[in-house]
Amino acid sequence: MSEVQTFLSGNGDERRTLVVVFLRGGADGLNIVAPLGDDGYYRARPRIAIAKKEAVPLDGFYGLNPLLKPLEIAYKDGALGVIHAAGSEDDTRSHFEAQDLMEHGGITGGGWLGRFLRAQAGVTSGPLAAVALGKAIPECLRGAPAATVLQSLDDFSLGDDRSRLTQALAKLYGLQTGILAGAGRDTLAALGRVRQLRNTAYQPAHGADYGRDEFSRGLREIARLIKARVGLQAASVDLGGWDSHFGQSTIMDPLMTRLAKGLATFYQDLGAEMKHTTVVVMTEFGRRVEENSAFGTDHGRGSVMFVMGGGIKGGRVLGKWPGLSRDVLEGPGDLPVMTNYRNVLAPILQRHGADNRLNQIFPNFTLDALPIYG
Amino acid sequence: MKHSRRTFLKAGGSSAALLAVAGCDQLPRELRFLQGQAKGGGPFQPPGATTIDALTHALNRVAFGPRPGDYARLKKLGATPELAAVTYIEQQLNPERIDDAEGEYAVRRFETLNEPLGELFEYQDELLHNELMRGALARAVFSERQLYEVMVQFWSDHFNIDPSKGDCKWLKVADDREVIRKHALGKFPEMLRASALSPAMLWYLDGRVNRRENMAEKPNENYARELLELHTLSVHGGYTQKDVMEVARCLSGWTVRSKDQKPYFEIGKVEFQLDHHDCGDKEVLGQKISAIQSHLSKEDRARLGKKELDRILQIVTNHPSTARHLSTKLCRRFIADEPPASAVQTVAAAFTQSGGDIRATLRALFVTEEFRQQRGNKFKRPFNYIVSALRATGASTDAGMEIVDYLRRMGHAPFNYPTPDGYPEEEAPWMGTLLWRWNFALALSENKIKGTKTDVEALRKNSGGDAGLMAHLLGRKPSADESQAYHDSGAGLALMLASPAFQRC
Repeated sequence: MSEVQTFLSGNGDERRTLVVVFLRGGADGLNIVAPLGDDGYYRARPRIAIAKKEAVPLDGFYGLNPLLKPLEIAYKDGALGVIHAAGSEDDTRSHFEAQDLMEHGGITGGGWLGRFLRAQAGVTSGPLAAVALGKAIPECLRGAPAATVLQSLDDFSLGDDRSRLTQALAKLYGLQTGILAGAGRDTLAALGRVRQLRNTAYQPAHGADYGRDEFSRGLREIARLIKARVGLQAASVDLGGWDSHFGQSTIMDPLMTRLAKGLATFYQDLGAEMKHTTVVVMTEFGRRVEENSAFGTDHGRGSVMFVMGGGIKGGRVLGKWPGLSRDVLEGPGDLPVMTNYRNVLAPILQRHGADNRLNQIFPNFTLDALPIYG
Repeated sequence: MKHSRRTFLKAGGSSAALLAVAGCDQLPRELRFLQGQAKGGGPFQPPGATTIDALTHALNRVAFGPRPGDYARLKKLGATPELAAVTYIEQQLNPERIDDAEGEYAVRRFETLNEPLGELFEYQDELLHNELMRGALARAVFSERQLYEVMVQFWSDHFNIDPSKGDCKWLKVADDREVIRKHALGKFPEMLRASALSPAMLWYLDGRVNRRENMAEKPNENYARELLELHTLSVHGGYTQKDVMEVARCLSGWTVRSKDQKPYFEIGKVEFQLDHHDCGDKEVLGQKISAIQSHLSKEDRARLGKKELDRILQIVTNHPSTARHLSTKLCRRFIADEPPASAVQTVAAAFTQSGGDIRATLRALFVTEEFRQQRGNKFKRPFNYIVSALRATGASTDAGMEIVDYLRRMGHAPFNYPTPDGYPEEEAPWMGTLLWRWNFALALSENKIKGTKTDVEALRKNSGGDAGLMAHLLGRKPSADESQAYHDSGAGLALMLASPAFQRC
C-alpha cells in the first residue's frame, strides 16, 4: 500500500477529474441538437433535417436527435448542459487546422489541457494524472507533465518478474535529458501503479452496462481510474469519423448512438462520483447549414458542445442563437460561432483548480466565461 | 532435410550466386530461410567509434537501420565511412540497379498486391488490408532498395488514404501500386496527377461526387481543399477559400465507377462526365481559366473540361509554396523535426530546378551540411522502430499479424490512419508508445512472436560477444552506463532494443 500513497498527491481523494471527449471530423451540431423552432433549418435541409415530431424536446426551441435520447435523463437531472453555435475562431474549415487550434487553445505551443495541468501550482502530477484513451496523445495534452496512452488497463504491463530489466531501463532513461527522459520516467511510474489496479476486476455500479465499442470501453476505463482514486486529473477520449460529405446519416447515425449510450452509461456508473467529475464534448467545427446534393453537408463553422457533471446548471441550452437567415450566415453559408469554446472551458478549468492562471492556459484571448454554473 | 549454414555457404558462396542459378521461387523453404541469414550469417565487425559515424547515420536515415554485417560490408565502398556513405546513398538513389530478389521473395505470398484493379473486387477486403500491411512491413525489413521503401512510406503518408472508406477497401491496393510505389522516386508532378485520378483517391476525398449540373448545385470541395492544403501548397501557402471552391469547380465531373454500378467489369474505372462539369469562367490562384463555350462540339468541350485538371495541377505544382512545403516535409523526415531553414531552402531550390524530380531533390538534401551533422536526433516512429529491430537482429519473419498488432497498439500500423494528413512525423505524438516498444523488444528477443525467429546466441557470437552486440545495435561503442545496465538487466538484447539510444536514429 505504501506505493499507492506515494503516487497520490496530498489531496488525491478530493481530486477532480476532467474528461474531454473530442468528436473528430466535424460533427453536425444542427442534427445533433436541432433548432426545431427555426424555419430556416427546415428550408436549408429539406431531406436531412430532424423532424419536429421525432426530436426529443429540450426547451421548446431545440430538440435532441432521437438517437441521443439516452442523454435525456442527465439533462432532466440538470447535470447536462448544451451550448449551441459554439466553436473556435478558426475559419480555414480544415480539420487539421481547426482541431489544432482548438486543442492548442490558440496559436501557441502545447495543448490547453497540457498547460492547465502544468499551471496547477504546488500540485505534483502523478503518473496517471492525465490519460489518453486510444493510440496517441492528443494535441490538447501536448506539453502535459505526464500523459499516458492506453487502450485498456489490462494492456499496461511488461510481464511478470521484470524487476532487473525495469531497473536497468530506469537507469538508462534516467540519464536522458529532454522529452525522452520524461516519457521513460512516466512510463515506468505508471507501470508500477497500474500493476496494483489490475489485480482487481472492475464492476460498473448502478447496473451500468457499457457498450463494446472503443468509445464506451474508453469511458469504462476512465470510470475505473476515477473510482480507484489514482489521482486522475484529466482524461481524453476520441469519438472520430464524423467527416461525411455524402449520405451523412449512414455515417453519423451510428456515431450519435455510440456517443449517447457511452455518456449515459458513464453518468449512470459514476452516480454520486459525478460530483467531482466534468465531461466536456467538443468538435472542431460544425457542418454547412444547407445540405448538399449528396444528402451530406460540407465543412461549416458553429456546432454544439455538451458539458456534464458536478455543479453544472444543466437542463438548458446555453449560447446565443443567431438564426439561420442568409444575412447572419458566415462565408459559404455556415452557422456563425456565437460562443468561443474557451468561454465554455474556462469556468470548468477554474472549478478544477486553474486558480487565476486562465490567461496562461488561453493566451492572447479575452475571456468572457459562459455562466454554465448558473 | 537439414542444412547447416556452413554447408550452404560452401555450396553457394553467396545468396546472389545461388539465386542466379535457381531463381528464388524454386528454392525449398528451408534454404530460403538460410539465404535470408546468409548475408549476416557469419562473424562481422560492428562499428568501433564512440559516436555514430557517417555510414551508420546513412543506414539509420536512408534505410530502416543496419542488419548484422551491413556496416562491415558497406564500409568497403569507400576509404572512409563518409565516402562509403556517399556511395551507399548514390546506390540507394538508383533502386532499379539494385538486385532485390530477397525483397521480391518476401512479398511473393501476398498475391493480391499484384492483382489488376478489376480483379481486386473478387477478394474479401480484410484479406486485402492484411496483405497491404504485411507487404509494407516485409518489404521494409527485407528489401535491398531501402531508400525506395522509406520514400514509399513517406508518400503513403503524404497522399494518405484510409482504406476503410467505401470502395477504397479494394481500390487502395491499386493506389499503393500505381501511385505511391510507381512514382516514389520519380517525378512529383506525375505522382500528383496519378493521385488525382486514382480511383481510391476519387473515393476517399469524394471527388467522385463532385459535380455541378446546374448553378444551384454545390461542388464537393473535399479533394480540392486537401490538394491545396496537404498535397501541394500547405495550409498557409497562400490560397483562399475562394481558390478551394474554384479548384473544386475545375475538377467537377471526374468520377469513378463504384462497386454497386453496372457493368461489373467497369468497377473502378475513372471517367470524366461533361454534363457534371462546371463549364463557367474560373480563377485559381490568380490565373484565369476561360469558360468552355457551349457552341463547341461535345468532344471539344469534354477535351477542354478534362484539360482543366492538368491546368490546375500545373498551377499548384509550380507554386513556390509547394516546393517549400515538400522540402520542409522531406527535411523533417531526414534531418530533424524542426527542419533547418537553410536546408529547406536548398532542397526547395533543387525541387524547383529539377521540375519536381524526387531523386534530384533528395540528392540535394543528402549533401547538405545539416543532414550530415544531425545524427541520432530523430525519434523512430513505431513502424521504423519495429522494422529496425527486426533488421538489427537479423530476424526471419513472415511479417505476421502479431507484429501488425504491435503496430496497431502504438497507433502506427500502415494503411490505418483515418485522416488525409497521414501519420505525424514529429516525435511528440509518439512518446506514449514506449511501453509497447519495450514489450516488443522482450517478445522479439525471447522468440515469443509467432512467425518471427531470431537466433540471439548466434547474433551475439557473430558480432564478437556482448560488447560487439551492443556496438552493432547502437551503431557505436556503448557507454559505461549502457554496458553496466546491459549486464544488470538479465535481458541484454531486450534492454538494448528498449534503450533510449535505440529509439533514435
